[in-house]
Amino acid sequence: MAIALPIGFCFAWGFLLLGAIWPPRQVSSSEHGFRLFLTLGFGIGLFSVVFFVTRLAGITHLLAADSFVTLVLATVYAWRRNRITHPLLIESRSQDFNLPVWLRHALTASFVLSTLVACGSALLQTRAHPHGYGWDAFSIWNLHARFLFLGGDHWREGFSALIPWSHPDYPLLTPAAIAHFWSYLGHDDPRVPAALSITFACATLGLLVSSLMHLRERHAAMLAGIALASTPFFVEQATAQYADIPLAFFCLASMVCLHLGLRNSGENSAHHPTNWSILAGVALGFAAWTKNEGQLFVAAFLLAQVASALSAGRRPSSCDSAQKNRLPIAALLIALAPMLLLIGWFKHTIAPPGDLFSSGSAMLQKIASPGRYWIILRWYGKEFFRFGNWWIVPGTVLLVVLYLALRSGTRRHDPALRSSILTLALTLAGYFAIYVITPYDIYWHLRFSLNRLFLQLWPSTIFLFFLFVGGQSRSLSPDKSI
Amino acid sequence: MSTQVSAKLPARTTTGIVLFVLCSLLSTLRIVWSAPNPARPAVDDIYSRSDQRFAVLKTRLPLRGVVGYIGESGDSATPDYYLTQYALAPLVVERSSAHSFVVGNFPSLSPKGIPLNLRLVEDFGNGVLLFANEGPR
Repeated sequence: MAIALPIGFCFAWGFLLLGAIWPPRQVSSSEHGFRLFLTLGFGIGLFSVVFFVTRLAGITHLLAADSFVTLVLATVYAWRRNRITHPLLIESRSQDFNLPVWLRHALTASFVLSTLVACGSALLQTRAHPHGYGWDAFSIWNLHARFLFLGGDHWREGFSALIPWSHPDYPLLTPAAIAHFWSYLGHDDPRVPAALSITFACATLGLLVSSLMHLRERHAAMLAGIALASTPFFVEQATAQYADIPLAFFCLASMVCLHLGLRNSGENSAHHPTNWSILAGVALGFAAWTKNEGQLFVAAFLLAQVASALSAGRRPSSCDSAQKNRLPIAALLIALAPMLLLIGWFKHTIAPPGDLFSSGSAMLQKIASPGRYWIILRWYGKEFFRFGNWWIVPGTVLLVVLYLALRSGTRRHDPALRSSILTLALTLAGYFAIYVITPYDIYWHLRFSLNRLFLQLWPSTIFLFFLFVGGQSRSLSPDKSI
Repeated sequence: MSTQVSAKLPARTTTGIVLFVLCSLLSTLRIVWSAPNPARPAVDDIYSRSDQRFAVLKTRLPLRGVVGYIGESGDSATPDYYLTQYALAPLVVERSSAHSFVVGNFPSLSPKGIPLNLRLVEDFGNGVLLFANEGPR
């Protein structure tokens, strides 16, 4: 029963945080699905941040601190909900695929089958490997959680350069969330990191499917679900107790919020795209608090948004677009700022310098070596086909095949799609640059990390694919409120 | 009001979707095959066993601070070290003998190559040893 209280806090915080930021209107039925999964992720993210702040502030009365946070969130939530002035929206849905009945049934059965298999396999893997599936679980993430939980006033000692390869500069979303749960249990129960790992994987799959169900339609959502649930590497990592899937979740969450905001901007003032930008900013903040790669994703996301706003401002047909785009970007930055400050403080005062940046001259020498670029390009190419441990036909190739089957021949001008693709491309370019300057053996580094880096972006890639490419060139019709 | 947009699918699209689903299900089969057998669960409890190996030693060490570490060489050296660090947290375990207390971890071989400045304080069994550093010699 001791676990019920932290789970309750976690869920309540996610619910209240989302509710406080959600556009001031009633929640429609199709929004309940992805709102639930966002609640899970945001709740765990906030649970982590609050624990870390209590550790920083030396607060020992955790229950009092958590109750106070609940009270503050509930107050803000109640105040915001009282201001709901817009009624429930009756949403228009596009039915992009007029599938034959047999294919509809086959698709539904395949979706259910692949999801059940993925969940069943993850549960069996967790039973077989209760402490995770690989070194990083106990040498980095759960070790940091132990230091946060057992270290008392001396928890900072765990983030010491004396422990090689423990990456003390890594952000603490998962370790601090685990330590928060352990604090209520009173011991470092291995089931907590295992449950957290599976929760993030389920939330990622759930968010992908439910958001596409809302933004597109049922069959595109199920195809996306099949693509993710059938990725063996995703299922394997679901139980690994690493931070790559939590990061994938927050990257996806930021993309989902961005597209909900962009889709609704200009169509109906009740949708308040600024609220979606704030939610995207919160998701980005949690991404940055999950892994260093999350900070790279945040930079790529912001750059893409600025580029998109500048590009919109240059078009004569939308001379006020740049003006309109400034507000969501500002909202996004304001929502992101607290997490960036916390991460900056952590990096500046607690964590030793990261291990990827060597001396300037050594990095310059590597930057000037064309052979390194060629090696990385080759690995990127190979990983395109190998990624995911798919059997016989790689998932990336399957998406290309499906694109060829679904493309309509008409090209749409879609700024949201362009900015999203730019975000992914810039993130991949950032990974590329890190490999160029890595102080480690480049083959070793690529071999042990590139597949996980691709996995971080895989759910977002599937989301974008089925949001735009499968659309038979028809975009959603505007929502109409009654 | 709701607006419905329908389009009859061309054969190319239907074929593409069927191919996509079938090929995806092939990988679902791989997931089934690589999953542990539910009838014969083999639990990897190396971490729990490691925690148990070091449980008594942990009670003899200071609650905070840094201790040294020596262990076996070879492929298992690095995992052995991390398992020790994980078991002894929140103590920091440094791979060095330059500390007042040094943990010895020899799970599969008898201890050898022990630095001369280390004096055995206690042997906890299962290859877990505690040394005291008597200064440079």
